[in-house]
Amino acid sequence: MSESTGTTFRAMTWARRRTALSRVWRELRHDRPGFIGLLLLSGFGLFALSAPLIADRSSLLVASGRNNPDLAAPSIKFLLGTDEIGRDVLAQLVWGSRVSLFIGLFATVVAVVIGSVVGLAAGYTKGKVSAVLLAIDDFFLVVPFLPLAIVLAVVLGRSPVTLSIVIGVTSWAGSARLIRAQVLTLSERAYVERARALGASSWHVIVRHVLPGVAPLIIANATLIVPSAILTESTLSFLGFGDRLSPSWGKLLEGAQSSGSITLNAWWYYLPPGLCIIGIVLAFTLLGRSLERIFDPRLRGR
Amino acid sequence: MSRRYLIKKVIGAFLTLSAVVVFNFFLFRIVDRDPLAKYRGRSKLTIEQRETMIRRMGLEGSKWDQFTVYIKSVLRLDFGRSFDSTQPVLGEITARLPATLFLVGVSTLLTICVGLYIGTKAGWRRGSRFDRTSTSATMVLYSTPEFFFGMLLLAFIAGRTGWFPTGGLRDVGADYGFVGNLIDRMHHLVLPTVTLTLGYLGSYALIMRTSMIETLGEDYLVTARAKGLRDSEVMSRHAVPNALLPSVSLIAISFGFVIGGAITTETVFSYPGLGLATANAISNNDLPMLQALFLLASAAVILFNFIADLVYGLLDPRVRRTE
Amino acid sequence: MATPVLRVRDLHVTYQSSLGAVPAVRGVDIEIARGETLGLAGESGCGKSTLAMALLRLVSPTTQITGSVLLAGKDTLTMKPGELRAVRWAQASIVFQGAQHVLNPVQRIGRQIDEATEAHGGARATGTAELLELVGLGVRRADDYPHELSGGQKQRALIAMALACDPLLIVADEPTTALDVMIQAQILQLLEEIKRERGLSMLFITHDLSVLSHTADRVAIMYAGRVIEVGAGKDLLRDSQHPYSKALAASFPIIGDPSSRRQPRGLAGDPPNPIDLPSGCPFHPRCAVAIDTCRSVDVKLRSVGGAINRQVACVHFGDA
Ligand SMILES: Nc1ncnc2c1ncn2[C@@H]1O[C@H](COP(=O)(O)OP(=O)(O)OP(=O)(O)O)[C@@H](O)[C@H]1O
Ligand code: SF4
Ligand SMILES: [Mg+2]
Repeated sequence: MSESTGTTFRAMTWARRRTALSRVWRELRHDRPGFIGLLLLSGFGLFALSAPLIADRSSLLVASGRNNPDLAAPSIKFLLGTDEIGRDVLAQLVWGSRVSLFIGLFATVVAVVIGSVVGLAAGYTKGKVSAVLLAIDDFFLVVPFLPLAIVLAVVLGRSPVTLSIVIGVTSWAGSARLIRAQVLTLSERAYVERARALGASSWHVIVRHVLPGVAPLIIANATLIVPSAILTESTLSFLGFGDRLSPSWGKLLEGAQSSGSITLNAWWYYLPPGLCIIGIVLAFTLLGRSLERIFDPRLRGR
Repeated sequence: MSRRYLIKKVIGAFLTLSAVVVFNFFLFRIVDRDPLAKYRGRSKLTIEQRETMIRRMGLEGSKWDQFTVYIKSVLRLDFGRSFDSTQPVLGEITARLPATLFLVGVSTLLTICVGLYIGTKAGWRRGSRFDRTSTSATMVLYSTPEFFFGMLLLAFIAGRTGWFPTGGLRDVGADYGFVGNLIDRMHHLVLPTVTLTLGYLGSYALIMRTSMIETLGEDYLVTARAKGLRDSEVMSRHAVPNALLPSVSLIAISFGFVIGGAITTETVFSYPGLGLATANAISNNDLPMLQALFLLASAAVILFNFIADLVYGLLDPRVRRTE
Repeated sequence: MATPVLRVRDLHVTYQSSLGAVPAVRGVDIEIARGETLGLAGESGCGKSTLAMALLRLVSPTTQITGSVLLAGKDTLTMKPGELRAVRWAQASIVFQGAQHVLNPVQRIGRQIDEATEAHGGARATGTAELLELVGLGVRRADDYPHELSGGQKQRALIAMALACDPLLIVADEPTTALDVMIQAQILQLLEEIKRERGLSMLFITHDLSVLSHTADRVAIMYAGRVIEVGAGKDLLRDSQHPYSKALAASFPIIGDPSSRRQPRGLAGDPPNPIDLPSGCPFHPRCAVAIDTCRSVDVKLRSVGGAINRQVACVHFGDA
């Protein structure tokens, strides 16, 4: 391929991507649930970004609560009251949004990478390799994933990064399935066949022809993994994993539960993190389902 | 059901279970450091006690030796002793099993019935008010961690009204006679069951709704209508039996999530079942206990999936009557 | 003349789609007398199935239907739901197109037939077992599921089902399209016999004109949601007037030629898209004898001088 045809080819690709993107944006704007999800998500994004403006990081330290009343109701000084050792709940909530989002997104990256590699490989290979990959996929699909995540986290460690990896490793099986199915339909398409017949290497065919075809599906699917990763994170934190000094929303709920805030009617302690989890999960779910509808016309009716 | 289908499914379930058992072996040997690193009381152990413990855990000798010892003990259902209580793990588990079976059983039944009902109705009347309301509600249910439901129920129902106990399996120390005790236990079961049911209702309803909507375009529904059947008959005799098929396996997979939900729900309500045992084992780093609990949970899900395969076989004549 | 079994007047059926309104049937008038078979032919997408479904109001509720459909004198379009259910299958039944998905895959054949009878008060002259024998399936098939039948057997089961409630009219929507030639002929013969024995009326839908020469007493040719020519069967097929009918007739020399399904030979261009119909006579972009007025004037169906009962919708025929 000469230099100039290479450039025009690339330019064409970009132009095509831009129009595809603007089409997605147009459809998303007219899909009410998806648009609501996007708005909610932007809200949470801003909230997480504004953490340093709302509270100093130091207010997460145990020492910061020393001179404050414990489990104090909301006031001007503490808009969302204090926890059982006098720390500002709002500060923990806003910094916690970063932890929850980080773990949710990082876990999703791990899951999507594993899921895509396994899915692409299982769809593109034949015979034994494909069978073994499918068996592994089946295994991860069937094994109950919270107990699996728990034993992995106990064995591997409890830090946020480890937790993300654990969550990622336990949630890729569904996407691998989806991607494999999509690859199988794509491989039958004429242009992939043609590329193969022209002697293109497997790698080339996957990267140039198959991957662009499954990319929209991967994106929609990833958007739906994030909420379940965030839910898993909050569950694991609630069960005692995670870092008390840099608490995610789930960790805050654990604090609220173990400190007896429920019997003490300290609603400001347990309601905000719970509602935040619902909100962010809802946002990603709405957006993900909407993207699925946009990318896969067969789902239009939903 | 064809014999081949049955045999295939039995073998499949057995292979998955074996894979879990093998996986479990390696999982707990990833960390090659001190096998007792997670054991809190390890500093107080004498050398001999240490060695006995390591031998009991089957962590002696070459990996292959360890493996055979492990397999033998799994077959004997011998999972060693709990780090925490130092009692045999098997005993600890069987003591707590009934409470959890009851909670998970009742909740699963409720979730399936109510979830399928809502999903069916919403999908059949897609776009109707019922659909819009129930879909919004199920989306919120789906997005809520079940333990947060539990906390809300505790705070706003048990705490405010006192109608329900705030936790436990029964009133400690009280004896109301046989029937009274039974009622007392039921009373304690209400909030955990509601929590677990609400927690997983959403996904079941959404699965069934999608499945119904996919069925709506089928030609045989037009045939049924053309025959002069009522709308409700078209739905119950033609749409639902077909829409159930793809739902069955998805519901079976979701059962794994209900098991996870039982862990947090039991924690919130201090309901002394296997879920609470799991939470305690996590905070105590009780590896032998966790290992057994993981195996048990996996076995339960594999069994449930197997049952789902059988149900599928019964529902779908294309599977039931091949050959 | 006695009341016709079916009398359709100015029927319009408009689907709603995301791309806008789809006028699939646009002002159709047809009549079928007792014992008569009307053949309805036209290219794929011209609205034949839509017309059939609209007779019993089987299109989705969002689809607009106007006009009137008098079935044994009563208008199905204005009936209350209960009345409509009673008329469905009991007065007119349908042998649907594409037998593959028309039967419920998880219900036994016998049950699916019984169900129709039960919906209309139970006992009928001919029981399910007899019906299955009648269509050449055998009683044992009652316990089978659809996937256990071949394509031709499914079509027979559908015919048995269509007879379950002794209807006055059977609508057969391309009953032989998916079948191979041998089976096609068998099914056609079966339908013909049943019709004659029971004195049924039939609306026989096809895009294969050659099929109609044996079966149809009268033939109506449809194009873009309209009937553009009607006449006595053999007569119309031998001597069609409308340029489209001519092209269509010329293109079916062989019975059941599968390649003819896609496009009639000797007819250039695609059938029009109902969302975006050409102005004037919708056939003008493909018409060899089109004149200027065709682009603006859409001629209604009208009697042609000479031939008995022949009606044509074209500027070249009838009084200008
Ligand atoms: N549910 C629907 N929504 C929107 N448009 C529809 C719908 N069903 C059919 N159509 C359109 O209406 C037109 C007529 O369709 P119809 O099925 O009646 O054609 P047909 O003559 O039976 O064709 P065929 O020979 O292929 O069966 C077509 O253009 C079709 O695309
Ligand atoms: S009206 Fe004109 S365009 Fe239409 S069929 Fe007749 S000649 Fe052709
Ligand atoms: Mg048709």
